[in-house]
Parts: sequence; structure tokens; C-alpha cells
Amino acid sequence: MTARSTLPLQAATLGVGIILALFLLGPILWMVSSSFQFDSDLFTVPPQLIPRQPTLDNYRYILTREAPASYSGQITGRRASGEALSLVPALKNSFIVATVVTLFNLLFSTLAAYTYARLRFRGRDLTYAFILTSRLIPAISVAIPISVLITRLKLLDTHWALITVYVAFTLPFTMWFLMKYFAFLPPEIEEAALIDGCTRFGALRRVVAPMAAPGLAAAAAFAFMGAYSEFLFALFLTRTMAAKTVPVILVATAINHDVSFALSFAALIVAMIPAMAFALIFRSYITRGFVSAFGR
Amino acid sequence: MRGKGLALFAVAALMASLLFVLPGASAGPTRLTVSFTVWTFAVDLIKENIRRFEQRYPNVEIKLNDHNWGQYNDTVVSRFVGGSDAPDVLYSSDHWLQQWAAAGWIVPLEDHFPQVKEMAKSFAPYAVDGMTYKGKIYGLPYYADPMGFFYNEAILKKAGFTLPPATWEELLAQSKVIKEKGLVKYPIGFGFSLQEPFSIEVFISMVYSRGGDLFDKDGNPVFDRPGSATIKSIQWVRDALKAGVLNPESLSWDVQAGAAMRAATQVYSISRASALWAFNDPRQSKEAGNFKIALMPGSTHQTVGFVRFYAMSSQVPKRGKEALDAAWAFLNYFGGPGPDNSYPVVRKWATDFGLGFAQMPLFRDTEILLSFGKWVDVPLLQRIGQRYSKVKQGLTPQFAQWDVFTRTELHKAYLEQQTPEQTVKNMAAKWNELRRK
Amino acid sequence: MARLHEHGTMTELALGRAAARPRRRAHVYPYLSILPALLVVGLISIYPLLFALDLSLYRNVLTEPLDHPFVGLRNFTEAFGSYYFLRSLQTTVKFTALIIFGTITFGVLVGLYLNRAGRLAGFLRVAILLPWAIPTVMAAIIWRWIFNGNYGILNALLVQVGIIPEYISWLANPYLAPLTLVVTHVWKWGPLAAIMCLATLQVIPRDLYEATHIDGGGGWTTFRFITLPFLRPTILLLLILETIAGFVTFDLIYVLTGGGPGDATTMLAWFAYAEIFRFLNLGKGAAMAFVIAALTLGMALIYVRLLRSEEYTT
Repeated sequence: MTARSTLPLQAATLGVGIILALFLLGPILWMVSSSFQFDSDLFTVPPQLIPRQPTLDNYRYILTREAPASYSGQITGRRASGEALSLVPALKNSFIVATVVTLFNLLFSTLAAYTYARLRFRGRDLTYAFILTSRLIPAISVAIPISVLITRLKLLDTHWALITVYVAFTLPFTMWFLMKYFAFLPPEIEEAALIDGCTRFGALRRVVAPMAAPGLAAAAAFAFMGAYSEFLFALFLTRTMAAKTVPVILVATAINHDVSFALSFAALIVAMIPAMAFALIFRSYITRGFVSAFGR
Repeated sequence: MRGKGLALFAVAALMASLLFVLPGASAGPTRLTVSFTVWTFAVDLIKENIRRFEQRYPNVEIKLNDHNWGQYNDTVVSRFVGGSDAPDVLYSSDHWLQQWAAAGWIVPLEDHFPQVKEMAKSFAPYAVDGMTYKGKIYGLPYYADPMGFFYNEAILKKAGFTLPPATWEELLAQSKVIKEKGLVKYPIGFGFSLQEPFSIEVFISMVYSRGGDLFDKDGNPVFDRPGSATIKSIQWVRDALKAGVLNPESLSWDVQAGAAMRAATQVYSISRASALWAFNDPRQSKEAGNFKIALMPGSTHQTVGFVRFYAMSSQVPKRGKEALDAAWAFLNYFGGPGPDNSYPVVRKWATDFGLGFAQMPLFRDTEILLSFGKWVDVPLLQRIGQRYSKVKQGLTPQFAQWDVFTRTELHKAYLEQQTPEQTVKNMAAKWNELRRK
Repeated sequence: MARLHEHGTMTELALGRAAARPRRRAHVYPYLSILPALLVVGLISIYPLLFALDLSLYRNVLTEPLDHPFVGLRNFTEAFGSYYFLRSLQTTVKFTALIIFGTITFGVLVGLYLNRAGRLAGFLRVAILLPWAIPTVMAAIIWRWIFNGNYGILNALLVQVGIIPEYISWLANPYLAPLTLVVTHVWKWGPLAAIMCLATLQVIPRDLYEATHIDGGGGWTTFRFITLPFLRPTILLLLILETIAGFVTFDLIYVLTGGGPGDATTMLAWFAYAEIFRFLNLGKGAAMAFVIAALTLGMALIYVRLLRSEEYTT
């Protein structure tokens, strides 16, 4: 790359970078800006990139569930009292479900991935393929049977329904990922433990898992994000605020045009923050994880 | 050791999360619970009504559940099919009555509450038609209205017109003038979204207003005959889109047509008559006071009258006499005259949101007349409701499915992806296919 | 795969030396350890699929629960023969082609861009995680607002810059509505593709590049003979993922277009959903859902074969 320092090339590179940054971040920033405006400001042409009359009232309404002064005079879209204001309970549900899913996922996939990475046994390839292929089954194909199953188990509209389904759906990817990760780790240390009389499981628990902590962290991140973002099953399997998760609430407000746009945008931003924060915090594990999975 | 600590933490987290997940112990005196499902509209007022009901009947507890209006039928159907999650009492519409009743999900009220037959005599005829299946009445009205044609009088006058259009051709002509004068970019807009249950009612009003019919008395389609009012209506929408006077966004709108009216970026619309209340409410509308309702343009000026009502599911009779009594107390309070003959809930909807009603005694109620008079020409509204409103034809168990199919076909016609003749052919074919099953 | 064989033999050695341990435990442990995973996956993925097959073999209209005869494959033939199914298949194929092209192009180009050092590249490598972190439905809500026909910022920008004379109705236009889905999909999933490509690119040894330079090769030659072969497995994997994604797209349609206008964005998964929830034909809907699963599995198998043969040649 000898053309490192020609000015036009540098400028072009910078230009491309700026366009890319705009494409990636622009929509998010625009949504943030919109969330600080009232509907009357949002419905202006041309739109206000920087709000002329910024307000915190949208967030106040969403988080406290009490109409601030600016909203009390209005008939707040007659439907604002519906789902838009249920964000906080939805966040609680989402977090509970995502956390439990992550725990179970880590448990099951670590166990299985380690076995697939290190051991040979009859049915190894078949069961591995079985688990991975299940990932390819579209959600829509099994959504109805699963909701019938869940209803029969009397688990409709509970956290456990979502947890079970999400573990099943996030497991193949995390297992595949951890399998690659374990395969990458040098086997000498655990073999030392094995020779010392440790069982396989013991080796996993005491030696390999701590060594693979970054990989586990990445797998946990994937499982958490997967569970937090899922929509289709949440739509089918939840009925009331006892179990409705964030995606369901946000979609209900977004496609319901009678709900104030501004309120639904504020709700969206509040819901996005945990996901983005999570990704940023776990960033190094995630990228390292991808490198070990794809960089061979 | 790290491993042990990790394991301990995992177990602790699991137990902590279980605390959230396991149900808490229920406290309080045992009351009879009736679950009530609604679509999301003014849920605050519904809760207030429930509060007052529970004060009056302290041994009954109402559990409220709401779903998006656009997905209401989809969601409720999946709950009925699921079995264990069916609501006790719920909103319904004449679109869906036959489908639900044929499937046995809701029960005729008059079978369990014979007083309903007497009560029905005080309901508007199109409402009774809309709540009847196989000769039995399945509900008490929540909200009944004609579809109304609205216009912004101030902008009309600015364009030089004194009267609203009396025919569809006139509407097109007026709109072109308004557009040419630069007063408004798209004078006409409708809620034609695929998710909008009102969209079929708008379209059928267009057909009725030309004196057209959809089906004959044996339920055979007549809308696919050459030169039918249906074909003409489809053609009119295409012409309006081509002339640039109908907002193309209408195809993805539900309530935005109303928002455009209120923002004075639109002059004409068709919607439920009570939408006028919002248009003329100074708290919500920039142009409050400028909006008027008129007879539907077209030779006969007829329009659709619809009824949304309270229905009772087949779960309730299975729970015994106490449940039935509680349900009746609820139905009577919300959809009927109530314990004091004051129509407590119907009245609230009428005065607070301008929702129309099918309970005819209220047409002479001074409180309601005064409150309506603030936003609408009451005699005209009554005339439309009594003389020009027809129930939707084709209300059969397959109407709901045919409705959803038709919405897509109409879009394709409006978007010039197929001719009006082909569209009505497809609609008729689907109707016959559903009927055969 | 070669490495795994190494580990295998060494493990066997280790196990052999510790033969004093009861053999039974060593035999049972693998099965026990994979059992939870197998159970969960089987219960939630495989059993319901078989159930769906069972549902599809009967006439099952939800409003006529008593009329329930066995109809064999009639639901399938009715679905396949219907003009509407073929149309939704057509729309799905077109959409899938577009997202394959869009996502992979984005992934490769942005991966290449991010592979260089520099402040902006460093910042972008963080920024690229954000669209991926945002749930699909939230991305759809964001872009729905951007594409809004009356107040959306895209319209405002394009008019400002002079590309279009007046506001366009993106979501109500039958040709543009599918494109809005493509743009949103690429925005959401392109970054993942870019991360995958970046990870692959980062292990390409630097001396390979220098070697081509010395031999007088330019940018394109470098790309074709060094970079591309390394990227090929990743691109193939992306091909699989994007093809499947195209056929199962549901969240985006639900939020952005609701299948419309008309049937412009009624793709397979949405069609199956509508068949069940709008037309209440559980038999036909289940048949369609099963067909979608068969299609995606079939395509994945084909791709995996291709991927396998790739591995043997590199």
C-alpha cells in the first residue's frame, strides 16, 4: 500500500468513512432528536434536525406514567394510555427473560460445546448436525404448534414460555461458536488436569471455562441480545403485561398511529439503550469472538 | 475457586429470577372475576367506567385487556382458538359477529338473558341487524354510527364553493379547483390501510351512495356485474389518484386521514361520524369549528351504518349462574340502560368522545343533544342515521376473511396493477370459494 | 477440522493413560452433557415441525372446528396451485436476491474499509456494532419514520439536495415498498456481515500482500488472488444466512408495510401468517409453514455441500 499518503486518496477515504458513519449512526441520531420533540413539532415540513423546542416531557411521561403538564390538556391520542406507557413493565419482563435465557444457554451450550470440541463418541456428528440444523427452521413454521404446546402446558403468557423457546433458538449459534472457541484453545492444560485424575466435567469446570471466559462472555452477549430482540414468539406467546416484552410493546405503539409518535420514539430510545450499552461493553469479547470463529 | 463462585452466582441468579417468575400469593376477598377485552381506544375512560361499575357491584372484579384495533380480530381469534385464554366479555363488530358466532366462540345473549329481546326494540334497526346471527341477538351496542362524509367549510369557501359536493364527479371537480388554487396539496384522503377495519366500510359507503348493492338477497355477488356501482367506485378512486387530488399515502393510512383534516392539510374525508367530534374540538384541531358533515355524495346518498358491541363468550355459561349474573350486570351497565335507567357508559362515550349510539331513547336526551350540538348539525346527523344508513351486506361467517382479501385486491386496483373488472372478478371468486367451504 | 483430529488422538492418549478410572463414566458423560441441549432443541424445534406437518394434513379452518377431515396433501396442492402463493414466492425470491447482493456487498466493502488502520476506521469499528445491537423491530420502527411519506427525513433530504422534485410515498408505492425492506435489512444486518468479513480479513498474513506488490500486482489483482480466496468461505456462509433470512423475513414486514401496499411485500412468511390469522385456515397455513421450513433446510443443505467442497479445495 505505497499510495498511503496521497491527499486525494486520503480525502476520498475520509469521505467514504463519513458517509458510512452517517449511514450507520444517522438513523439512530435522528430518532434521538425526534424523541425530544412534541408531535406538533414532528409534523412539520421540513423536519427539525435539531429540535427548536426540545422537551423532556416524552421521557417523563414514559418513565413516570403520569402525564406532564404539556400533555394533560391534550387528548393524548386516546391511546397513549395503552401500550406506550407500559414500557417499564415490559423492560422488566425483557430483562428477566433475557437474563435467565443467558444463564441456561451458557450452561447447556458450554457443556455441549466442550464435548463436541474434545470428545469422540457415537452419534457425535449426527447430534451436532441436528442441533445446528434446527437453527434453520424458521420461527413462523413452528410458531403455531409451539403456542398450542405452550397453551396446553398452561404456560401461556408466562416468562417460562419465552425462556424455553429462546434457549432453544439461541442455543445452536452459541454452541457452534463455543465449539469453535474451545477447539481453538490449546488442550495441554486440561490434559494436565485430566492426567491428575480430573473428570471431563471437572476439567471443564475448573480449567477450561475460566480460560474460555472471553468466549463465554461473547456467547452470553449473543444469547442476551437474541433473547432481548426476539419478536415473533413474544407476539404469539404473550397476552398481558405479565409477560409482554419490549419488542411487542414498541411495535404495538409504532403501528398504532393514534399513539403519539413522540411518545413511541422516546420509548424506543429508552429500550435501545440497554441493547447498545450491552454491545459496547461486551464489544471486545464480541469482536474477539468473531475473529476466533471466522479467522482460521 | 472461580468455578465455584461462578456456579454459586448462577444458582443465586436463578433463584432470584424465579422469585419474579413464580406467582405471588393472592390476597383479598374472593370476588367473581370477569375478563373484559377491548381494542385500544380511550383506555383511561374504560378504566374509569370499570371503577364506577365495581363501586356499584363490589362483588364483581373486571380484568381489562386491550389489543391494537388494527390487529384486534387476529389477536382475539388466536385467543379463542387457543382455548384456555378466551375472554369472558369483549368488544366485537358486525364485521366479525358471524364468524365468531358460527365458530361457537360467542353465545346469543337472548338465550341466557331473555330481557335482551325487549331491549333490542329500543335499538336502531341497522344496529340490531348487525348484532343478529341466525335470528338471535348476540350483543348490546357499544358504539354505533353511520359513515360520514366530512369537509372543511372554510377551505371550501376560500376556493369559491358554497355547498359540499353532491356527486362524486362534483367532488373530483371541486378538488381539482382547490388543488389548482394551491390551497392544499391533496384535498382528499382516506384510511385505506390494509390493517384498517374501517377501510371496507368507507368503500362500501361509496358503493351504497351510488345506489349500488354488493350481494343479492341470496348472498350472491352482484358487484361483479358490468357497470356496477362497485366498479364505478374503484374507477373513481383511480381517477382521483391519477388527478393528484387523493393522497397516495391513503393506502397506508388509518387515523392519519383524520390527522390531516385536523391539520388543515386536507379538505375531504370519509370516516366514522364521531370523527367530527375530534375535528371540531379546539384542544385537538387547529381548525375547530370549520368542519361539517354532509350527505354522502352520489345519487342516493346512502351510507354504511355499523355497530360495535359487547359480546359474551361461551366460557361464561360454563362457569354457572353466578358468572352469568355478573356478566349481565356488566353488559347492562355498559351497553344497556344500567341499574338506574341512565345508560351510564353509553352516555359517557357520547358526551366525552362524541361516539354515536344505537340506543334510541338517548336521541331525546337533552344532555347528549347539547353536547353533540357543539360539534355537529344534530338533525342532519340523525337524518343520516335513520334514513340513509344501511348495514353492510354480506355479513356471513366468511365476511371477515373476504374483507381482508378484498382490501388487498382493492389496493392492486388503485395502484393500477389490475383493472377494476379483474378486481371484482377476483373478489367474487374468493367469495364463492369461501362460501363453498 | 484437521485440528480436531489432532486433539482427538491426544485426548485418546490421555484417556488411555487414565484407564484406571471407571470406564462407564467416560462412556456416559458425552451423552449426558449434550442431553439438555438436545432435549430443548428437539422439544422446541423438531417436535413442533412434525406437529405442523400433522396439522397440514387435515382440513382445519378455525371457524369450523367440527369439519376436520383428513385431506392428505390437498392443503399443499391448493397452496402451491394458488396464484397468490406463487406471487408471494416470486416477491420473496426477488427480495432475497436484493438482500443477498446488498448485504454481502456492504459486508465485503465495509470490511475491507475497516481493515485499514486510522482514527476513523477505529471509531467506525465501534459504530458498526450499533445497528447489529438494535433489535430488528426497533430498526424497522426507526426506518418507518425515516421513510414516512409526509414528514420523513429521507424525503426532506432528497428534496433539499435536489434528487427528487417532491415528497415520495415510499411505503405506499408497490415498487418502493420492497426496497424500503431491503434498505432496512441491509442497515441492520450489513454490519454483521462487515464484522464477519473484517474478522476473516484480519488473519490474512501481511506478507502475502507485500509479495503481490513486489510482483507488480495492483489493487484488483491483490483482491482477486489474495483477499477473495480467504473471504470465500465467509461469503458463502453469508450467502446461506441471507438466503434463509430472506425467506423467513417477518418482523420487518409486520412493522414497515403490513404486507402492502396490495401484495407488494407479501412474502412467504407473511403469507403463511396471513393464511392462519386472517383467513383462519390453519391447515393451509401449516402446510405453507412446513414448506418454508423445507425450502430453507433444502437450500441450506445445498449451500453446506458447496461450503464443504470449498474447504476441501482450499
